[in-house]
Amino acid sequence: MSSSYGTFSTKQEERRKRTVPDRVLIRRVYKYAQAHRRNLIIGVSATITGALTGLASPYMHAIAIDRIITPKNLSGFIWWIPLFAAIILGNYLFQYIQTYQMRVVGENVVAKMRDDMMEKLQVISLRYFSEGEAGRIISRPTNDANTVRIFLRLGLTSILVDISSILGAFAIMFYLDLRLSLLAITVLPIAILLVWFLGKHSRAAYRRTLITTSGLTARMQEDLAGIKVTQAYAQEKETEKKFLKSQDENVKATIRAILIGSSYTPFVIGLRLIGTMIILFYGVNALLTGTITLGVLVAFTEYQFAYFMPLVDLVTMYDQYQSAMSAIERMFDVIDTKVEIQDPPLERSITLQ
Amino acid sequence: MSIAKPLVDYAKSLRPQKGFTQSFSAFKKLMKYHRRYYWFVMAIVILAVIRSILFSVEPLYTTFIIVNVIGPPSNLSLLWGYLLVIILAGIGYAISNFVLIFVHGVMSQYIVRDIRTEYYRSLQGKSFSFYDSAAVGDLTSRATVDLQLVDMFLRTWLGTVLNAVFTTIIIIAIILPISPIMTLISMATMPLIFYFTTRLWIETMPLFRNMQLIMGRLTSYIQQNIVGMKTIRIFRREKDVVDGFKEVESIYVNTAISAGKIQSIYMPLGPAILTLGIALVYVYAGYTLGIPGSALAVAQVGDIILFARYMMRLTFPIRDVSQTLGTWIAAYAGLERVLEITDAPRNVEDLPNAKDIKIEKGKLELENVTFGYVKDRPVLKSVTFMVQPGEKIAILGATGSGKSSLIYLIPRFYDIQTGSIRIDGTDIRDFKLVSLRKQIGVVLQDVFLFSGTIRENIAFGKPGASMDEIVQAAKSARIHEFIESLPCGYDTPVGERGVTLSGGQKQRVTIARALVGNPRILIMDDSLSFVDAKTEREIQSAIEEATKTRTTLIIAQRFSTIKTAEKILVLENGSIAEFGTHNELIAKNGVYKKVYETQFVQKASPILEEAGGA
Repeated sequence: MSSSYGTFSTKQEERRKRTVPDRVLIRRVYKYAQAHRRNLIIGVSATITGALTGLASPYMHAIAIDRIITPKNLSGFIWWIPLFAAIILGNYLFQYIQTYQMRVVGENVVAKMRDDMMEKLQVISLRYFSEGEAGRIISRPTNDANTVRIFLRLGLTSILVDISSILGAFAIMFYLDLRLSLLAITVLPIAILLVWFLGKHSRAAYRRTLITTSGLTARMQEDLAGIKVTQAYAQEKETEKKFLKSQDENVKATIRAILIGSSYTPFVIGLRLIGTMIILFYGVNALLTGTITLGVLVAFTEYQFAYFMPLVDLVTMYDQYQSAMSAIERMFDVIDTKVEIQDPPLERSITLQ
Repeated sequence: MSIAKPLVDYAKSLRPQKGFTQSFSAFKKLMKYHRRYYWFVMAIVILAVIRSILFSVEPLYTTFIIVNVIGPPSNLSLLWGYLLVIILAGIGYAISNFVLIFVHGVMSQYIVRDIRTEYYRSLQGKSFSFYDSAAVGDLTSRATVDLQLVDMFLRTWLGTVLNAVFTTIIIIAIILPISPIMTLISMATMPLIFYFTTRLWIETMPLFRNMQLIMGRLTSYIQQNIVGMKTIRIFRREKDVVDGFKEVESIYVNTAISAGKIQSIYMPLGPAILTLGIALVYVYAGYTLGIPGSALAVAQVGDIILFARYMMRLTFPIRDVSQTLGTWIAAYAGLERVLEITDAPRNVEDLPNAKDIKIEKGKLELENVTFGYVKDRPVLKSVTFMVQPGEKIAILGATGSGKSSLIYLIPRFYDIQTGSIRIDGTDIRDFKLVSLRKQIGVVLQDVFLFSGTIRENIAFGKPGASMDEIVQAAKSARIHEFIESLPCGYDTPVGERGVTLSGGQKQRVTIARALVGNPRILIMDDSLSFVDAKTEREIQSAIEEATKTRTTLIIAQRFSTIKTAEKILVLENGSIAEFGTHNELIAKNGVYKKVYETQFVQKASPILEEAGGA
C-alpha cells in the first residue's frame, strides 16, 4: 500500500525548476519597491555606510597603538577619543536607519504583492480552485509571502552588510600593508572552494528537509480534514502511525541538514586559523625588521576575523536567497494568471429583483 | 455587513499587552520538554564551557607574542610555541563548536517532535464540537509555521546564552588579575547593555505577539476565501473580501513597522555601548600613562591591546543574545498558539470502568436525552424513543432542528448532558470509545475521502479487511461496477493525483467504507441534495441494500429514502414532533403530512419522473 498520501503535489512543487531568471524577478520586485524608493535608497546607503563604519574600529585601534600609546604621545587622545566616539555613534545611527527603512520597504512590498494576489484570486477562473489545488494556492499568499518577508527583513540586509564588510576589509588591509594582505588572502580561494562545495551539499540536504516538511504539512492537513471520519471509525492509532512516520522522515532529514550545515564551520575556522598563523608569523618578523607597526599587525588579525565571518554568513544566505526567489516566482505566477471571463464592474451589473 | 468585518474588528481590537509573565510561563513549559533530554543539556553545558575557554585563548597568546616575542627584548624562539597553542586552541574550538551546534540541533528536533506529537495526539482526541468551529488551515499552521518559530529558538538558545555567560566570566577571569580597575571600567557598560536588551524585549514582545495573531487569522481568512470562492463569486462579494484583507494587512504592516522602529533603536545599541567601553579603557590607559614617573612598558601596551581585543570579542556573544531574544519573542507567541490547543481538556473521554462490549443485536434506546453545544442552550430537549434491532428510522426536520446532533450522539461524537443512550441495554458511556465507534457504521454529511487508493479508502473502516470483504461492501454500496471500470480498479488512486469522483460516487464509496466492518448499527447523514436523477437512484439503491439488516438512523432529504424506512421521526426545535410509520403519520394529519404534501408530492416527484423518463 502506498503510504505517501497527498504528498505528491508538494514534492513536485519543490522539485520544479525555476524558469524565470533572477534579474527579471528582482526587477519586478523593485517595481513594487518604487513606491518607497526614498526609503529604499536611504536604507541601502545606510546599510553600506553602516558596514563600512563598523570596519573603521580596528583601524582606529591601530592608530591609537601606533601614534598615541607606543610613542607616548598621549595628547593624541584629545582628537582620537572624539573621533572614535563619532565613528561608533555614526555606526549606530546608520544601523538604526538601515533597520527601520528596510523594514518599511520590505513590509510594504510584501503587503502590496499579497494584496495584488488576493485581488487576482477573486477574478481568475474558478477552475483554479478545483479540489486539491486549494492547498497549493493557499500557500502562495501565506507561506511564500512569509518566506519573502523574512528574506527582506533579515536576508537582504545581511547580504548587503556581508558584501560591503568583505570588500571594505580587503580595501583597508591592502591600504595598510600590501605584502601582508596578499599573504593573508592566500587561504581565500581554498575557503571559497570549500564553502562552495560544502554549501552545495548543504543546499541539497536543506531542500530535502523542505520536501519532508511539505509532506508533513500535507499529511497534517489531510488528517485534520478527515478527522471526523477517523474518529467515526476509531482509527486514530492508525493515522497517528502514519503521521509519526512522516514526522520521523522530517526529523531525520532536518538532523542530516544540521549535520551537513554545521560540518563546514570547523573547516572554515581551520582555514581562518591558518590565515592568522601566516599573519602572525610574517607579521612578527616584519615587525622586528620594522616593515610594519604593532598597530597594523593587531588590526590585521581583527580584519581577518572581519571578512571570514561574513563569508560564512553569505553561504547560509544563499539558501534563503534561493527559496525567496522561488517564492517570489510563485507569487508572480498568481499575479500573472490570465483572467478568462471578465465580469462587468459591480456598479454596472444588473441586480435581479 | 462585510464578510471581513469579524477579522477587521479582531485586528483592531488587539491591544499591546504586557506579556512578560505569560512569556515566562511559556518558557517554563518549554523547559519541561527539555527534561527528557537532560544528557543533551549536560553535554551542551560542558561543550559551551570548553568552547568559551578556547575562544578566549587567541587574544591572550597574541599578547604574549607582542610582549615576549617582539619585546623588547625580542625573542623569536618563543614564537613557535605560542603559535602552536593558538593553533591547538583553534582546532579545539572548531571541534567543540561543531559538536555543540550538532548536539543542540538534534535536541531541538527531538523537542519539536515531542511538542508536535503531543499536539497531534490532543487533536485526535478533540470532539466534533471542537472541529465544528476550527479551521483546518489554522490548526495545521500551528503545527508547522508556529513550531518552526519555536524550532528556530530551540536550535541555538542554550548555546548562545551559555556562550555569553561563560565568555564574559572567562574574559573577566583573565583580565581581572592584569588590572582590576581597567576590568571595572571596561565592564561598567554591561548593566546598560543588559538594561537596553531587556527594554527591547519588553517593548517589542506585545507587538510581535499581535503580528502573529493577526497572521494566523489572515491565513484562515485566505483559506476560507479560496475554499469558498464559488459562493463569494455567486454573491459578488469579491470587493468586500479584498477590502477587508487590505485593511487587516495594513494593520499588520503598521505593527511590523512599529516593532521595526523599536528594534532599530535598541538592537545596534549593545555593540555600540560595548565599543564605547573600549574608548573608556583607552582614556584610563592614557591617564595612567600620563602620570609622571610611570614608565611606559611594552607590557602595558600589550595589556591595553589585550583589553581592547577582548572587548571586541564580547560584542559577538552579546549580539547573539539579543538576536536569540528576538527569536524567543516569535517562538513564544508560536508556542502559546500550539499549547493553547494541547492544554485544552478533551471533552469526550473513556469512563474509568469502560469496557470492550460487543453489540449483538443493535437495539437502540434514547431516554430523556438533552444536549446542547453551549450550556443552557439545548439543541435537543428530552428526546425519548426506541429502535428495534434491524429497524430503519428516517429522521426529518428543518435546518437547526437537531437532526445531525441527534444521530451523532450515538457514537459519542458529542456527550449528552442528561438522560441516557443505551445499545442492547448498555449505556454507551460504559463502552470504550474505540469499541463503540468501531461497531457503528457512519456516513457523514460531508463525503470525505483520504488521498490514496479506493481500496485503502474502503478498508479504512476495517484495517486489514480482506479483498472479499472490500468487494462485498462495494457491491452493497452499488459502487463495485464503477470501480471495476476504472483503469486500475480498486487500486485507482483518488484525490489530488488520482481520478476525480463525482459527489454521488464519493458518497457510495463512503457507504462502502461504513459497511466493510459489517456493523449492527448504521447512522447516515444523507444530505446530498443536489444530485441528478440517475445518481439519486443509484444512491437510493445503495442505501436500501446497506440498511436491510442493520439498525439504521438516517437523516433523509428525499422521499425515496423515507419511503423505505420502517418509522419516521420528525424533529421540531429539538423535540420529537411525531414518531411512527408513514401511514400512521399521514393519518395523524400533522407536520409530517404537511411536509409530505408540500415537499415531496408536489415538488420532487414530477422532476424525478421527468428526469427519469428522459
